[in-house]
This record gives sequence, structure tokens and C-alpha cells, in this order.
Amino acid sequence: MPVRKEDFSFPKKLETEAEEWLKEGIIDSNQKSWILERYRLLQKVEERAGPGRLITTLSVLGSLLVGIGIILFIASNWSAISKLGKLLIIFISLAGSYGLGFYCRYEKGHYPKVGASLILLGSLIFGAGIFLIAQIYHLKAHQPNGLLLWGAGVLPLAYYLGFKSLMTLCLVDLLVWLGMEASYRMSYVELVPPDIFALILLFWTAGLTLWAIGLWHREWASLKMISTPFILMGAFLTFFIGFLSTFFRPGLSEYVIQLHANSTLLISFYPVLIILFLIAVIFRLLPDRKERGWIYETIGLMILLAIVLILSLYLQWALFSFKGSLRLIFNLLFLLQIIGLIFLGFIRRYSVYVNIGLLFFSLDVFARYFDLFWELLPRSLFFIFGGLLLLFGGIYLERKRRKILASFHLKEV
Amino acid sequence: MRKKFILLILLQVVLLAGMIVYRHYWVITGKKLLLRIEPVDPRDIFRGDYVRLRYEISSLNLGEMGIEESFQPRERVYVHLEQNPDGTYRATSVSREPPSGKIFIQGRARYTTTLTKWEVTLIDDEGQTHFLKPSWFGSVKKGDRVTFCLDNQGGVVESFKESDSYKPTCKGPSLQGLIEEIQTFKSKVLEVEYGIESFFVEEGKGKRIESSRDTKKVVLEIALRKDGRGTIAALLMEGKRFE
Repeated sequence: MPVRKEDFSFPKKLETEAEEWLKEGIIDSNQKSWILERYRLLQKVEERAGPGRLITTLSVLGSLLVGIGIILFIASNWSAISKLGKLLIIFISLAGSYGLGFYCRYEKGHYPKVGASLILLGSLIFGAGIFLIAQIYHLKAHQPNGLLLWGAGVLPLAYYLGFKSLMTLCLVDLLVWLGMEASYRMSYVELVPPDIFALILLFWTAGLTLWAIGLWHREWASLKMISTPFILMGAFLTFFIGFLSTFFRPGLSEYVIQLHANSTLLISFYPVLIILFLIAVIFRLLPDRKERGWIYETIGLMILLAIVLILSLYLQWALFSFKGSLRLIFNLLFLLQIIGLIFLGFIRRYSVYVNIGLLFFSLDVFARYFDLFWELLPRSLFFIFGGLLLLFGGIYLERKRRKILASFHLKEV
Repeated sequence: MRKKFILLILLQVVLLAGMIVYRHYWVITGKKLLLRIEPVDPRDIFRGDYVRLRYEISSLNLGEMGIEESFQPRERVYVHLEQNPDGTYRATSVSREPPSGKIFIQGRARYTTTLTKWEVTLIDDEGQTHFLKPSWFGSVKKGDRVTFCLDNQGGVVESFKESDSYKPTCKGPSLQGLIEEIQTFKSKVLEVEYGIESFFVEEGKGKRIESSRDTKKVVLEIALRKDGRGTIAALLMEGKRFE
């Protein structure tokens, strides 16, 4: 039986629960000890060898160190190792770590966690190989291409093996690529706020796309394994950018806005991202059973994407016609996003959403409290209005809960 | 499972090998030519010890080439090349379309600057007339009394007006007199990037190449594809060849 992480926090709770069941006569003392025995084994393993997560952490960190070590070894012996020697080191260590990882995890199956880390190491060596080969041959035509190649090489493997670690590596790599490629395209423009804002909007779109793909993967049994990196990174990126947008202040002359705010430089990224987003939404709608609140979630994401797209395509128009009120819109939008996310997190019992929501809620409260650019009055109104909204939400939910409990003839605990 | 896994790993190996094969093919089939460089500051954080190369053809004097067009940043340009007597190549013109029947290298426009050159006529205290080409001569007017510090070849090291508060002492020969005439020549200079601007060397060696003052001794061998894209085939310095 595979050991899951829940199994380790579960026994303690189970013990108190089982005591209750015994009192209520649901189980007898024999059954109680059988049930507890089933989990005691895992507890012993944990006490002696540490939890499974520790093993994963250790071996992932180990892989990172070995990977960096190989790069340093080649770099520090650059002249001593011939061109062929360098290439041999790359290819042999690549094949070696993939081979050993596969053997440990699948062939023999005796060290699955370490094996998975060795496969991750292989992917790191692959990336290092790209840059070392570029170095050996002085290829510097266009650096971001190297990152794209890395992502393209690892993505199929990540999907096939269903490793979160590989998928995380891949997504981080592709996001860094996006940043480098986008800033390369803007590198001859003097970066003033409207241009930075265009970059921010691009990443907003990317975050929403990742999130949507994650939700599609979560609904599909075969892809569920790797949905977490998508959702985690997508939601975090979306909220992080949303948070940045609450500080938005154009405050520039019309001349600067006309000269800059040139989103056409980044326009070619958008069709790809939009198509991916739409594919994700369509595929999410296919399965019969969907998670609770999926309608609100999907519609929310689509509305947000629509707003971001309108802003990025008509940035000059938006800056001219809304000016300062853009900031108010962003703030309200962000607050709605946070409330929506926490709400979804609770009805779905999905801690990722609740945590991200609460994190950005506290950041937002903190930031707004010390916000010097707002007048005191709107600020106080903002807090009072937001607070009342939450309080009334609480009252509404509590009444609903009471009604439902009453219908079950249960007392509130 | 095993077969599919091996297949996916092979995909990565093929991608890596593809880079190597592609580059070799480029160097073997490309037209090879030599380019001279100018020194610049070293190091590229991302990939260790780099020589950042600036070529003579990295900045093109549009005025001297008689080109009126202006080029946008990131625009693809074709720089026409002609061979010097010493075997290296120099830029003669630049266009948006590849020229037919000429050797050319493809690059991207970076930005345009304005280069100002001065030609000054000075009558010294003995009444003799001198022609000088200072690299900067902005705030001086006709009739001002000016001191020029010169180097041994007669080039201007620096110059200052009699009325300036800043008066350095000349280390070499100097000239003093009244300004008779000032001519300014402005021309546009286009900076171009070719994707061959960096060369990796082992730790520590980069500085040596860059600090070798006489950069005429450093020559880059470039392999040109048919579309004019170049890649570095080798760096030649003091009779040695670095690949």
C-alpha cells in the first residue's frame, strides 16, 4: 500500500475519534485496537526513519547539489577537458541519472522516492547540457531559446511520468522564458510604468492560463497527479499580479502614455495563451462529475481574463479614459478575487485556495492601511465597506448553516 | 513503460545532439570571413567568464555611408561587407533587404546615436595656422583663446579655454592661440547586434584577451549562413586559434 502524507497526521486524530466511537457503542474495544493497529505501523516507520516527505526533500536537495556540482566541475576544468570530454560528461551523466532513477523507481521499485529525484536530476542535467553546449560553441544568438528548448524537452516526460517535481521545473522554466523573451522584445524601449504594466498584464494572462489548465487537469483522473503545480503557480501568479495592480498609479503625462503603453510588442504571446486557456476551459467542461462551485470559478476566471485582455489590447485607451479610477477598479477586483477564492476553498475543502486567499487578504489589508496615496476618507470607507461585506456574509452563512443543521435535527457543536 | 521512457529520454538527447550537429553544419557549410573587434568590458553573469565582443562593424556610420534611412530598434538589417587588404572585412552599407551579389551579414538594429565631429582652425601666437580634430569641442566659440594638449602624433588629448576655471597641465606638447574657425559634422551612427558578441573562455582568461590593448591582433572567424546569419567559428589572437 502506498504511503500518503495524510497518513501521518491522521492517527492522532483517529485515536480521539475512536475513543468517542467506543463510548457511543459504534465499535467495541477489539475493533478499536484493530483500527489503531493499522496506523500504528506507519507511526513507527515515521518515528524511526522520518516521514516520507523528509526522504523526498533530502533526495531532491541532493539532486540539486549533484547537478550544480557537475556544472561547476565542467566550468572549473574548462581548459583541461577537451570539447569531446565535456560533451561525454554531459551525455553520460544525463543517461546515467535517468537510467539509475528509472531502475530505482520502476524496474526494481525499491527506492521510489530517490529514483524520482534522480529522474529530476536528469532533467536538470539536460538543461545544464543546453547551456554548456551553447557555451562550447559560443552560440548566443538568442538566449531565451535555450530555456524554451529545456521546457520542450522536459514537458513530455513530466506528463508521461506524472511527476509534480518535473512539472514544477518545467513551468518555472517556461515562466522565466516568458519573462526573458518579453523583456527582450521590450529591451529597446525605455521602461516607464505603462510598459512595465504591459509586462504585468502578460504575466497576469499567463497566470490565469496556468490556473485554467490546472483546473482541467484536476477534473481528469489521468492528469490529476500533475494538476497541483499548475493550480498553485497559476493562482499564486494571478493573485500576486492582482496584488501589484492594486498599487497601480498611471500619474504620467498624456505624451508619455501615447509614446509608450505600446502593447503591440508583446501581442504575439496572446493568441497562444488565449487558445490554451480556451482549450483548458472546454476540456474542464467535458467530465460529468465536476467539483463544487466550478461554474462560479470558471466564469470568474473568464471575466478576469476578459478584463486583462481588454486592458492589454487597449492599454492606451484604458489609461486615457479611466486614469486614476483604474486603481479603484483593481482594488475592488482584487478584493472580490480574494473573497471568491476563500469561499471556493472552504466549500471544496481545498487548503491551497484558502491559504493563498488568506495570505493575500492579509497582505492587502496591510498594504491598504499604509497606503499613502489614498486619501484618509476613501481608505476608511474602504475598510468599513469591506468589513461590513464580510460580516454580512458571515451572518448569512451562519443562518443558512443553522437552518440546515435544524433540518438534520442536530445540535451545533 | 521502459520503451516509452527511453523514447522520451532520447528526445532530449536528440535535442542536445541537434544543437551540436546544427552548429557544425553551419561552420562547415558557411562562408568564412574575418572580423576585427574593439575592446569592451568583460563578464556575462549568466554563463560565467565571457569575452564580450564589439566588432568594428557593430557601429555603422550612416553619414559616411551616405544612408538617409533610419532604422527602428530590433529591425532586421543586412550589412554589406567588403574585404580589406589585410583579409578582414569592413562594412560598406546597410539595407533592409539582403543585397544581391555582395557578401552580407544579418543583424538587428539596436539604436541610433548622433556622432559629432569637430574640425578647428587655430592661429597660434606666432601667427601659424593649425588644423585640429578634437573629440569634443562643444562650448567654444570663434575668437576664444584656447589651449590644446597634444599627444606625440599630433592628436588632441584635451583642450580648454583661457577663461575656464579648470586648467589642466599638458603632459606632452601643447598649442595656444585664437580660434579662427569651427566646423561641426554630425552624422548618425547605427548600433547593430549580430548574435556573435560573446566568446566563452576559461576563468581568468577573459581579461587577458580584453586587456590586450592592441585589439588589431584579435580577429574573429565567423561562419556565415546563406541568409547572412553568422556564428563564431574561432577567435584568433597572436597566432593562436581558440575554438
